[in-house]
Amino acid sequence: MSRYSRELSVLAVLAAMLLALGVWAPGFYRLQPLLSLATREAPVLVVACGMVLVVIARQIDISVGSQFSICSVAGGLLAAAGWPMVLVVPASVAIGAMLGMLNGALVAGLGLPSIVVTLAMLVTLRQGLNLFRQGEFVTLPDGVQWFGLSQSVGQALILAATGVLVIVLAAALRHVALGRQIYAVGSDAEASRLAGIRPRWVTFFAFAALGALTGLAAAMNVVQSPQVQPLSGNGMELKVIAAVVVGGVAISGGRGTLWGATAGLMVLACISPALVHLHIEAYWEKAIQGAVILLAAIAEGLRRRRSDA
Amino acid sequence: MKTPQTLERSHGWRKWLLRHETLLLVVLVLEWSLFYYFGTSVNRRGMTVGFGTLDRQFDILRHSCEIGLLALALTPVILAGGIDLSVASLLGLCAVIFGQLTHDLGLSLSIAAGATVALGALAGGLNATLIAGLRLPPLIVTLGTYSLFRGLAEALTRGAVTYSDFAPRFLSLGQDRWLALPVQAWVFFAVAAGMWMLVHRTVAGRSFRVIGFSPEGARFAGLPVTRNLAGVYVLAGAIAAIAALIYTARLGQAKADAAIGYELFAIAAVVLGGTSIFGGRGSVTGTLLGVAVIAVLKNGLATLPVVIRLNAAEEISGMLTGFLLLAALAGSTIPKLVSARRNRSWSNGSFISPSP
Repeated sequence: MSRYSRELSVLAVLAAMLLALGVWAPGFYRLQPLLSLATREAPVLVVACGMVLVVIARQIDISVGSQFSICSVAGGLLAAAGWPMVLVVPASVAIGAMLGMLNGALVAGLGLPSIVVTLAMLVTLRQGLNLFRQGEFVTLPDGVQWFGLSQSVGQALILAATGVLVIVLAAALRHVALGRQIYAVGSDAEASRLAGIRPRWVTFFAFAALGALTGLAAAMNVVQSPQVQPLSGNGMELKVIAAVVVGGVAISGGRGTLWGATAGLMVLACISPALVHLHIEAYWEKAIQGAVILLAAIAEGLRRRRSDA
Repeated sequence: MKTPQTLERSHGWRKWLLRHETLLLVVLVLEWSLFYYFGTSVNRRGMTVGFGTLDRQFDILRHSCEIGLLALALTPVILAGGIDLSVASLLGLCAVIFGQLTHDLGLSLSIAAGATVALGALAGGLNATLIAGLRLPPLIVTLGTYSLFRGLAEALTRGAVTYSDFAPRFLSLGQDRWLALPVQAWVFFAVAAGMWMLVHRTVAGRSFRVIGFSPEGARFAGLPVTRNLAGVYVLAGAIAAIAALIYTARLGQAKADAAIGYELFAIAAVVLGGTSIFGGRGSVTGTLLGVAVIAVLKNGLATLPVVIRLNAAEEISGMLTGFLLLAALAGSTIPKLVSARRNRSWSNGSFISPSP
């Protein structure tokens, strides 16, 4: 039990929030708004899953927002060029994976610090996209939005895909050798190397997986509106890292779970609608999110101090 | 202080630093000459326009002051092995608070400015308490305050209020010249000189690199690690507040979205200047050169005819800054990588602190 105390505390906070909303703002629980909130946040969750892998491996990637924008625009352009959605989605995943591999090669291959590498990538990719598109929107043809299905079926499809993905990834992280290796590399790379793990390849894989998941998330985002916004990924890195941290994944590597990060994202995502229903001005959202991140950091510090003692 | 000197000598850092800074200076002179040659032209009335004018040089100086101040604020933070993502958000918060103090409360300029800087130091104190006091990871703490400070700025202005109509006496801080140079350049130079003295010539300042190199070692050596680490973040907050005053005076308005994204360029300037993101190595001179290289690149590109035709100065300078950053990193890491490969070990250093 105490092993997951951080995750359980996040779940407790989430449950308390949902309960409080049920008591003071039952309007929150109407099906349609709740469904669109979940669908809107599903791509963020998919990116957060990838970020969990990278952070457990004791690295970070702050270029996911730029990767997300590039994959969105590329996916939109392909769809507009008449590609069927069954090809657009894998293409977006492949583009994301390639961007992730580039980060992975620079970090794992050359041994450069990931925060600076991905900072450089964040700026370079974003400005490259601006140069290429000049901020133009991509208008999608009919039959792309919600995969050409009705809105509720499309939403259900996205939510189901996200749910399956989270469950499969969580199981893989726990039971598949590569998943365990990510934890080992994040705890102590040198020890893992002596144990026969190849930390460079594991790190490279984590970045590639994050890129691929970002590409998938971008495809899930593209189908939600009739146009693709070129800046759709701006600021996503902070949202995702915040979710991961609030969910109890240790930024010092080697510790954390996917379901913790999922709960973390849910806490952060519920703040904005909660403010609306509790009649607090929406301008407070960012400040409250910041306070939640700080509280999570303090909780993590307390947990570490207790386990050290 | 004997320790840092012997550390530096045994690792040949001073020599390396000299090389990195010399290289940056060469890059700076090269790009400046390039822009001078290709970016200057004579218009129909026989006047020189473009990069080669004195006005343009003052413009570059004027526009680099805010990012330059943030980069100076970040230098000791990163030297001591930390990071501060919240400086640009704090700039926004301080700008808004300054607007409220002068407009809503009607305080006099000097009192409002003093209160703003004090508030910046106080906000830096929040980072300091959590990072140095509770020993929480700086990346996460400042990610939280990044959101918190910007969010408070938005909440205080309801996302809409813009403060303008500042007194001309205040606007001259950002728009006039004093002794030939833009007024804010003098502030920037004064902070830079103070920071150089602090980091390179005082006992406390020299401890930053020791702390960044090995916090445990510094503690065992009897250095006041907690106090000095806290001081670094408080100082960063105060400097961000000064940058907020200059930003507000230059634009003549204070809004919640002031200086969004500046932290990225400030960090880029520090790292480009040769300061290791892991801490323990770097210099104020390097940061100043890093700021200059990025500022000249951005402004110079805007004067090149081909870039003007494409209307893409911002984009191209951003991409080139990214490439420069990667090149600077690779240049400083690859030699070490080669020697590490020789003894077959790869320590997966964390992104923010060297592995234990």
